[in-house]
Amino acid sequence: MSSPLRTSPQPPTLDHEISALQSKIKTLKSALALQASTLLTSPSTLALLSSDPKLTSQSSLHQSHHLQTLYRTCATLTLFRAQDPDPNAVDAGSILGLRIEVVSRAKFLRPYYVLFNRPWASSSSFPGPQRKWLRVHRHTVPSCIPLSGLAARYLPSPDKDDTRRKQDLGKFARGVRREVVRYHARLGTVADLRKAAGLGRGGDGGDKSGLVDISPADAEVRHVSVEWGDGRTGRLVIGDDGEVEKLVVVGENGRDREAGRELLGGLGLAGTVKAEEVVRRLAGTGGA
Amino acid sequence: MSRISVPTTAPLPSSLRVNPSSTTVTKILSRLSRASLISVALDWLDEDNLSLATPYLRPDQDDDEEEDDGDFYPPASSPEELREEYLSLQNRKGSKRDILDRITTGDWRHGVSLYQLAIADLQYLYDHPTSQKWSAYNIVPLKAPTEDDDGEVQPLEADKTSLTIPRFHPSLFLKSLQAQILPDIKAHYNLDRHKTLPLLILRIFVIDSPYNTPLSLSSNRNMDTGSKTILIAFPDGSPNIFISKPTSTGPKGASESKSLRALLVEGIPKALSLPRQRVTLQSTSLTTRNLEGLLDRRGATRGNAAGGGWSIYADEKVKESPLSTVLPSPPLSDAAEEEEQGNGDKKRRKRPTVEERVNKRARLVAQARFGDTARVGDGKGVERVDLVMEDPFEIGGDDADRMDIEGEDDGEEAFRPNVRLTFHGSHVFAGIRQLVECGVIDGEKMPGWMTGEEGVTIGAVRNGRIRGHKGSGL
Repeated sequence: MSSPLRTSPQPPTLDHEISALQSKIKTLKSALALQASTLLTSPSTLALLSSDPKLTSQSSLHQSHHLQTLYRTCATLTLFRAQDPDPNAVDAGSILGLRIEVVSRAKFLRPYYVLFNRPWASSSSFPGPQRKWLRVHRHTVPSCIPLSGLAARYLPSPDKDDTRRKQDLGKFARGVRREVVRYHARLGTVADLRKAAGLGRGGDGGDKSGLVDISPADAEVRHVSVEWGDGRTGRLVIGDDGEVEKLVVVGENGRDREAGRELLGGLGLAGTVKAEEVVRRLAGTGGA
Repeated sequence: MSRISVPTTAPLPSSLRVNPSSTTVTKILSRLSRASLISVALDWLDEDNLSLATPYLRPDQDDDEEEDDGDFYPPASSPEELREEYLSLQNRKGSKRDILDRITTGDWRHGVSLYQLAIADLQYLYDHPTSQKWSAYNIVPLKAPTEDDDGEVQPLEADKTSLTIPRFHPSLFLKSLQAQILPDIKAHYNLDRHKTLPLLILRIFVIDSPYNTPLSLSSNRNMDTGSKTILIAFPDGSPNIFISKPTSTGPKGASESKSLRALLVEGIPKALSLPRQRVTLQSTSLTTRNLEGLLDRRGATRGNAAGGGWSIYADEKVKESPLSTVLPSPPLSDAAEEEEQGNGDKKRRKRPTVEERVNKRARLVAQARFGDTARVGDGKGVERVDLVMEDPFEIGGDDADRMDIEGEDDGEEAFRPNVRLTFHGSHVFAGIRQLVECGVIDGEKMPGWMTGEEGVTIGAVRNGRIRGHKGSGL
């Protein structure tokens, strides 16, 4: 107990100095990489680079990377190729990857990946085009996203007799992205609701609004349970487009419609109010 | 206390007391350590639990004759006093036997309630996380029932195209599960949150008796021959459910507990179903004693369908923002490794010897095949993997033949020896990884099922892949 007290007023030791220098090296290195990348891709330097083959190859690498990040930022659905390390993998281990970008709280999250293979590529029992059909091989989508349902709808397995069957990767990708974005929007809404009601991370009660807890009540974060300090509890169902689909508040004497109307504001009719408006209302009453 | 026992369909109430001398009570309590016993007793004496775990206290009126009854464990006068007593026991040394005796013949001589037993049982699970064998089941929505021409209802099929994720509401689930339990057995339910893992644990304690009165519990026959315990865990944010193997106290064990489990596997989906939204349970061929490992493979993480080397796609620590314009260094490349190791040892780089290069290569291959999974200390190991090989025995066949085996070659009977593989150990896949790292297994030729990327512990291997799991088992 006594030793840290004794050392703290002393000047920083050599170890501190070393770690400070190392962190400085790190920042300088990343700054250098950033500068180099910026220089290599700016149009004014491109004209100067044309003589050096090493620099031009570097520059083209950087440029293609820039293009990729541009697509990733704007289209948010991008494809890439990968190789399955399993020596017994189907189709010689060719993998098609789908990258889904998600923005949450003004930040790009780690993208979600869906990786496809072509298990029917070498089987002669299917007509030509069906052999190229894809199948979800691996994915990193959370289990509360109905990926298998979407795959069964848009990426069915081939069938010799059923020629009307079609795979639609575009629809599948858009479907998955829609679900993922909705899921993160709902998560964000619940966090906003908590913030607006003055509920901290530690779960200490916000006495301004009388609410003591707001938390997701199911895997998909469609249902949100709301608890008041006086024992009333409520359930809020968030719809696909962020609207409050249903709201039930139950107090000591059965259903408490008044409280529900108060929370929703306006006419107090579920289905007409967006969850963000509830957030705004809560924040408003909290501030007043 | 009612005088006559009437058969009922209600569950056993939590406050129902069990004779402390019955084998069930001693069995549950005596397997706890001394420290755990004290903490359990303190848990019972907590304000919130006191109503369901009332200790035997000194009655107020007979204060005068307190000394002369020769009681070895004189009853305390208030729960607070008892709490103090147990707190002081915590600091003292002594044997487990003392505490056990104190509980069963002293402070809870009038009976240990079912709620108390549930708490004690869960404490055992916290003390010995690998004491239960869990099987993972997937909750799958069912199609709406259809009728054929004769008006008969067809057996329900799993609805593969459904986009609904089954929802779980604890109290509603318990209510409908109770309706599914047969009237000739009685069950006690206790829901609790796991202390460290994102799980909700339901403990079901079943006895063979149609009554839910203390009398049915006090007769030792019911309590000792026909009581069984089964644990069900619901992971947060994931449509999966883990069911433990039932443990029974009676001599007639195996077949009965199997039937109880079958009964529950049948009853749970019905209890989880909502009107117009039926679900069923599907086995996911994953059985292990390690709850943390189960959560890693069937929980709410990204790694569920991206095990082994694919875990690099699921690693949330990797920053991969599309707004960063810096050229990323591919994983396993020299630049990435330098970053990892720090930049101190750059100057003493000399030409590596052949052995060093081979070692490094093996390490890199292991890293590529296993990613960041299957580390010895990660606590996510499975202890047993059973596989059946269904591949024909190859006599000098080259790789080109292997791809064609799929359908057509089945005409001529190939030699298929019956080979079963069982891997056994504290962390099976970490062991395989270590063998790859030291070069015993050739990591590049190793089949994919040896990396554990399928996330199953029971499977059949065909064409070098686990059958039915060409991918994530979708």
